[in-house]
Amino acid sequence: MSLTKLVERLVQLVPVLLGVSVIVFLMMAMTPGDPVQIMIGDQNVSAAQEAQLRHDLGLDRPAYERLALFIGHAATGNFGESFYYKRPVAQVIAERLPATIELSVVALLIALMTAIPLGVLAAVKKNSVLDKLATVGSLLGVSLPGFWFGILLLMLFAVQLHILPVSGRMGFATSIKPITGFLLIDTLLRGDPAAFLDALKHILLPAITLGLPMTAVLMRVTRTSMLEVLRQDYITFAEAKGLSRTRILIRHALKNALIPTVSVAAIETGSLLGGNMIVETVFGWPGLGRLVVDSIFVRDYPLVQAAVLLYAVTYVLLNFVADILYTFLNPRVKL
Amino acid sequence: MRKLTSAGLAALIAFGATSQTVAAKDLVIGFSADAATLDPANHRDTNTETIIREMYDGILTRDPAMHVVPQLAESYKQISPTVYEFKIRKGVKFHDGSTMTAEDVKFTLDRIWEKGGLGDGQTSPRQSLLGPIKSVDVVNGDTLRVTLSAPWSLLPAMLPFQEVVSKAFVGKVGTAGMATQEDGTGPFQLVQWNKGDSVVMKRFDDYWGGKACVDRVIFKTIPESSSRVAALLAGDAQIIDHLPPYAVSQVNASGNAKAVFVNGTRSYFIAMNLTEKPFTDIRVREAIAHAIDKPLVINKILGGHAVAINGILSPDAFGKNKALKGLAYDPALSRKLLKEAGYPNGIKVTMDVTGPDKDTAEAVASLMAKGGITTKVQVGESAMLGSKWRTMGKPKTGDMYFTSWGNGSLDPQGIFMPTHHTDGRGNSSGYSNPKVDKLLDGAAVEVDRAKRAAMYEQAEAIAAKDVAYIYLWVPQDIYGVSKRLSGWQPSPDGRLNLVKACLK
Repeated sequence: MSLTKLVERLVQLVPVLLGVSVIVFLMMAMTPGDPVQIMIGDQNVSAAQEAQLRHDLGLDRPAYERLALFIGHAATGNFGESFYYKRPVAQVIAERLPATIELSVVALLIALMTAIPLGVLAAVKKNSVLDKLATVGSLLGVSLPGFWFGILLLMLFAVQLHILPVSGRMGFATSIKPITGFLLIDTLLRGDPAAFLDALKHILLPAITLGLPMTAVLMRVTRTSMLEVLRQDYITFAEAKGLSRTRILIRHALKNALIPTVSVAAIETGSLLGGNMIVETVFGWPGLGRLVVDSIFVRDYPLVQAAVLLYAVTYVLLNFVADILYTFLNPRVKL
Repeated sequence: MRKLTSAGLAALIAFGATSQTVAAKDLVIGFSADAATLDPANHRDTNTETIIREMYDGILTRDPAMHVVPQLAESYKQISPTVYEFKIRKGVKFHDGSTMTAEDVKFTLDRIWEKGGLGDGQTSPRQSLLGPIKSVDVVNGDTLRVTLSAPWSLLPAMLPFQEVVSKAFVGKVGTAGMATQEDGTGPFQLVQWNKGDSVVMKRFDDYWGGKACVDRVIFKTIPESSSRVAALLAGDAQIIDHLPPYAVSQVNASGNAKAVFVNGTRSYFIAMNLTEKPFTDIRVREAIAHAIDKPLVINKILGGHAVAINGILSPDAFGKNKALKGLAYDPALSRKLLKEAGYPNGIKVTMDVTGPDKDTAEAVASLMAKGGITTKVQVGESAMLGSKWRTMGKPKTGDMYFTSWGNGSLDPQGIFMPTHHTDGRGNSSGYSNPKVDKLLDGAAVEVDRAKRAAMYEQAEAIAAKDVAYIYLWVPQDIYGVSKRLSGWQPSPDGRLNLVKACLK
């Protein structure tokens, strides 16, 4: 892909983000629920005090003015101050983002590392017991609600067996000064294997829960595409040449079979963002998903707007990455 | 190969070792929410206050019997209807070692009540919690005089909600810095705040009230109820809040933890749209009240952990009308009343409720059906239902709203005024009775306690007779505690007060 194409794609991002900003703003503005009333809670206040609070949050301005201000500020990277946390939105989000990225990446790795081998095996041993087990397993994986599966894992590994912790990113005895914000990397950079193990134990259950539906989907995709590839003439030809089965599978079949898997994986990574909200709540994971859910409940407009914008950027970029990967794996396709 | 196997085994064993290496004297609270900020003056959030309160003290506080008692004040008295004086305790240290003075207390209050008090033109969102303050002055070095612009008998009941900060420290870090740092006088001081995950505190050895028992207190954020219960049962937390009633037997059967109860301060009731038919007819409202078997719901759905109420106030609230008789459970009478009101075939209504109360509302609805009130339960999100029903006099739609109102101040004004005064903030029924308004307005400024109590008793009787709402119950707050924990009792106001809590 040429550089101009790349720039062109990036420029296309701008109207998408503008549209998303407007939609999110309107959705928040139209959703019933008043941040000021929520903030006051079950208290008795005078009209003047309530008006003061509304003014301090900038909510006494008309909606179009607030929208213009939001877009104007957002363009300069200023997302305003959170109603609830009383700190700059960018700061609050930045604190939570590494936890979410780390969780998503580990979930993605777990999904890829289980789904691809299982999918290949299921295809090669089509209609065997293993294939049927994998099929049933993937059906379950897609159907099980994350919060339920997560709690089952908690009950088994944390409450019954006591081998994994219930929630959080790290135990309280261990403390690591952040470098990148990703605990699995920071613990290694600081040369603290015990802390690394602790962080790993904490991330395991949430990552498995988050990765499960993706594993199931990717397994199915890999199996189907592998079956298709194995039916191709060039595979028969390779077999006729007397090449070993392993060589045919890995060198000839897998590379081609992985094309749909990779692009589906990239897009599914976007859907991890949605799953994060549930998994982070179940496992007390201090990430962005939980922050957004909490912020919606208290109608923290600035925070929700900025976070959804971030989600949109991520989603668009992931699609972009999927396209690039696709052309890379299949040079016949041009962007 | 053998080497490899043993290395693998060692790794497995290490991995299987206790999941959290928690020191013996770490008290972990599995808490349903994280703090929004650490600045006592810049939030409106009860959970935040509960967490902050372990690091900060108030001018006044509440004793276990929920009486308002001095804390950083040594004593206080009301000089006139609009003037209060607080004698400030001597020798109290902030966490940075400096000594607290009456100037710090004045600064604390000014920061909250004054317009722009937080600096940079920001006004504290807690301003309205302090009522009509006119001025706060230091007299004779150690006495603080609070002057109100109008009588407001709620002041002492509201002061336990405000925590005293250090003037010098705020000057140094500013309001931005206060969001993540602290310098209070409380029994614990901040070690680290892992946002969204935990607030770690250690014991403050120079605490004026005698040092705490445990070395560290950790508020661990676990929003999901089932995960909180799992943390308690796994021994990862020693106290958890909001233990769901259905988990009580599971926790008690575990052998290492138990459920503890305390009377709450939140009254549950059903609002009816009094601006529209059929609820404009009092017979319909009475019919609904007669159709609900409160003891049955309390025993079967709430596990017996609630007290029935016949008026808005909780049974041990100041000014509670103890003589109030409710409308007894009598579904036959309900149908008769509906018939008299012109609904021989009963009525069909919809009842709004938030997710957490859905099961209870459904039980209530099934009882109402037997009394001729066919009720559809409709679940909505709390902020949405709030703006649908709490319209403050503006027209509203909807039939019924299964809701509640908390009363952390434990003073009738905090719950009676908003829910029953004409156009009150929480007046979901749209109830309006000039007699009740007059009594509530009068009680708000009445200085004589006995007279004030009598006014609330009278108001409660009128509202109950009008069937302004269907009054239901005040649930108990349920906590799960580890059997390792001693010296700790839950408190009706939701405070944790961990200074005397010990772990074995």
